[in-house]
Amino acid sequence: MNSQQAAETRSRDEIVEAIRALSDADWVRLRKVANVYARPSITAEDLLQEAFARAHDGRHCPRHVDVVRFLAEAMRSIANGEQEKVANRTVLVSVDAEAHRETVLAQADPAGSAEDQRLAAEDAQAIYTGLFSLFEDDPVARDVLEGLMEDLTAEEIRELTDLDATAYASKRKLIRRRIDKHYPEGWTL
Amino acid sequence: MTGKKDTERTALDRLADALVEDILDASDEDILTEFTEDGGDAKEHGDAMRKSFENRLLAANKARMAAAKAGVAAARRAQSEGLTAQIDLTAARVWLSRLGERPDVPEGLTLAARKEDELSDADIRGMLEDLAELGLKPPGYGGSS
Repeated sequence: MNSQQAAETRSRDEIVEAIRALSDADWVRLRKVANVYARPSITAEDLLQEAFARAHDGRHCPRHVDVVRFLAEAMRSIANGEQEKVANRTVLVSVDAEAHRETVLAQADPAGSAEDQRLAAEDAQAIYTGLFSLFEDDPVARDVLEGLMEDLTAEEIRELTDLDATAYASKRKLIRRRIDKHYPEGWTL
Repeated sequence: MTGKKDTERTALDRLADALVEDILDASDEDILTEFTEDGGDAKEHGDAMRKSFENRLLAANKARMAAAKAGVAAARRAQSEGLTAQIDLTAARVWLSRLGERPDVPEGLTLAARKEDELSDADIRGMLEDLAELGLKPPGYGGSS
């Protein structure tokens, strides 16, 4: 890190002080973010602790980035890493017929990995369907939900749904709150 | 609405990111009201989180201190081993055999040193390290006495 980069990055102590200065609302935000990114392989609590560890280990936190946003991004990165680990997990199986031999040869079990991936895909499909079923009474909310899942911009979704900025913001809040209530610990996919 | 063909998992990841954006952009008032509506106590939660963070910090600082201590010990060991590795063992054996002539050296050490011809190179290196800790160093052994 050169001196200019160092000047633009918070020191470890500055990150710690910024975290200590978080308000009750900020802590609630972090809890909610952790719930959203929690996975079966990593709980919301572990995500928070791991994000603290990354902050304390001196990961680059640019001065212009809000610390809550920095911790949220750390949790996202950790959760995605966990998801990748599960997706790429190699199951080792013995290929030695004589189990008593000291040298055990092993190789990846493609059937095991494929099975894990099939189960994960089924879980994802069930949650995907479950989320849409939460909005059976609100076709516009379903359209907004679908737009968010398809990575459409706010403008594109508003154009497709004929919502003005206020109505769109209100619909997004409704979506978030309903999901929040239905999956208080996140959908832990 | 026209859809881009994609997996459900990717769709859910995108939704998670959108939900998080909304959480980060929401006002403090909205966030606190929601938390209370869901049966939470924001003050209590905040205090618990702060305590958890401080505990984490304490554990991390202890781990860093332990790692630093281990690093210093390893550096000292490496330095000591490096010095004995460079020493002229023949000269060191001569120096050890004459150690008994010095009045400032404890008798136990001089007895061991007199048997230098029975000692292996590794024994000699070990003795040199032990003596170095007492401030007794042969010529050429990092700041000799």
